[in-house]
Amino acid sequence: MKLLLRRFSTHLHDTPYTAEVILETGAKINIDRANVDAVRADLIIDVPKDKVERVAELFREKGLEVKKLMKLIAWDETRCVHCGACISVCPTGVFKFDSSWNICVDDEKCVRCEVCVKACPLGALACVE
Amino acid sequence: MTGTEKSIGEINKRIEDGSVRVVTADRMSEIVSELGTEEAAKEVDVVTTGTFGPMCSSGVFINFGHAEPPIKMQRVWLNDVEAHTGIAAVDAYLGAAQLSEDKRMEYGGGYVIEDLVAGKPIEVKALGYGTDCYPRKELETTITLEDLNQAVMLNPRNSAQRHEVATNSTDKTLYTYMGTLLPSYRNANYCGAGALSPLFNDPDFETIGVGTRIFLCGASGYVAGAGTQHSPVNNFGTLMVAGNVKEMNVEFLKGASFYGYGVTLYVGIGIPIPVLNERIAKKTGINDADIVTEVLDYGVSRRERPVLRKVTYEELKSGLIEIEGKEVPASPLSSFFMAKKVAEELKSEIEVGKFLLSLPVERLPTDTVCKPMKQTKELPLVKDVMIREVKTISERASIADAAKLIMEAQFTHVPVISKESKLVGIVTAWDISTAVAKRHEGLAEIMTRAVITADSEEPLELVIRKLERYNISALPVIDGDRRVIGMVTSDEISKLVGKRKRWQWKLRI
Ligand code: SF4
Ligand code: SF4
Repeated sequence: MKLLLRRFSTHLHDTPYTAEVILETGAKINIDRANVDAVRADLIIDVPKDKVERVAELFREKGLEVKKLMKLIAWDETRCVHCGACISVCPTGVFKFDSSWNICVDDEKCVRCEVCVKACPLGALACVE
Repeated sequence: MTGTEKSIGEINKRIEDGSVRVVTADRMSEIVSELGTEEAAKEVDVVTTGTFGPMCSSGVFINFGHAEPPIKMQRVWLNDVEAHTGIAAVDAYLGAAQLSEDKRMEYGGGYVIEDLVAGKPIEVKALGYGTDCYPRKELETTITLEDLNQAVMLNPRNSAQRHEVATNSTDKTLYTYMGTLLPSYRNANYCGAGALSPLFNDPDFETIGVGTRIFLCGASGYVAGAGTQHSPVNNFGTLMVAGNVKEMNVEFLKGASFYGYGVTLYVGIGIPIPVLNERIAKKTGINDADIVTEVLDYGVSRRERPVLRKVTYEELKSGLIEIEGKEVPASPLSSFFMAKKVAEELKSEIEVGKFLLSLPVERLPTDTVCKPMKQTKELPLVKDVMIREVKTISERASIADAAKLIMEAQFTHVPVISKESKLVGIVTAWDISTAVAKRHEGLAEIMTRAVITADSEEPLELVIRKLERYNISALPVIDGDRRVIGMVTSDEISKLVGKRKRWQWKLRI
């Protein structure tokens, strides 16, 4: 399960909050993506299902906003022509053809790199929150 | 060859009485390998092919009807996308690849065509110069497809027989008409419908010619002639096709945009091939494994791109191809799913008697080749404009040395070289001033190591593109041993280009 972590306050810079949560919960967390700018930092992490609740709670206690990402990549099926331009650019293999050349989207694997959003000629893909 | 001989008339009679036997081209490949060509020719009357892919060389002729008071449209925009005029007063040609004035690559000709077919209202703006017969100078109105007298799709080059496969050797992502190409051969993109592709099923243009009735975006259209750049000699045949937009189905045409390249139109074309004899049956039995194309390195932005290897559609469709010992994921840009749908749709139209076949009224040429452009007024090559007296500096020099050199020589960019005189970096006047402020001392600390360079034989156009793309104002010219042999600067280019006024619009540096 993917979580979106967002923090605004700068003092958290000095706290190794991710490391603390990992140590406290023993959860094997993967960092899929990190966007940091002057006002905020957004982190997308992948957490094993059984530890999600505990991990989310701890991050909240540490002052971060936590949001479960239900949909990682939005696919507009009505716009899609099943070309497959998204397949080869995706680093994690989210897109595949089925046996009749229909595109299938396995969005759990998405790390929200947004490469496919640009690569789709039909504008059928978007990263939503 | 003996055996089956059928005429178009006989096949059309079977279409009319409902006894015709139609199969899609992919199924025909199986039938031919199961039954052999002789039986296949007996069993099958028509093979339907299909393709659905981005075809930039597409567009629509429009007649708007006359306004009151009348205008001779000198320029006209549909939803802010300019159509070509220069024909009669209210005729225009809307090209699929034309960009929106305002939204640029997010909207354009292909989208307007899709919106027209979808029945959406379109904002029209026109300007005229005013004449005694056409006094009006400005016009604004809203139209739908229904309001137009004619809307005829005429696509100068569609249904290309073969497409190249694109990949990218450089360390930058490229955004091309062949889609997003990741660095270092991380992906490859291809186009075309393989064994379903119309022209591969009739490579000698026996039944596809001028006047052949085809399926064009849901309407029944025609082959108008050979397409532009028709080059059957090396399997690059193309078709010019025409059809009535008012009969089209929005499912089979889609406006699209390739990031960083521009707008296009996905066009669905299906061509029925009458199986008149065993020879034609054999050709329509073609497999993905028989269709060969080339993988090109789009990292080289020249007309002649290096061919990395040959590849079949069978390998492409497996999703992985090998390039220089690496497994590279391959994606189509055209849609097999939709190509099949086109072929199926055409098949059922024939089966229910809605679509009759026609023989060409004239054969297409089979011996033409596509020539490159004749260019008589070229910008020079890098070697013709580069500054040859270049001051370089050793990587072991101090920042003070570099500052002195820049001041004395009046250059803003100084290439940094190694002991062996190879280029290892570049420093600019700006680097030096920030270095002084930050109290750096060694040159090696502050120089830029990833230097963008030029080759002396490179056309200036490509250097201009590099300067723009990397937002820099000068770059060193190096030889094969990375020794600096010159510098090209945007100042020098501007001076030269300034002399040739008509080129100026290209320069945005
Ligand atoms: S690139 Fe876009 S249109 Fe093509 S298959 Fe993927 S989502 Fe669909
Ligand atoms: S955002 Fe990145 S990881 Fe997610 S589907 Fe698109 S290409 Fe794949």
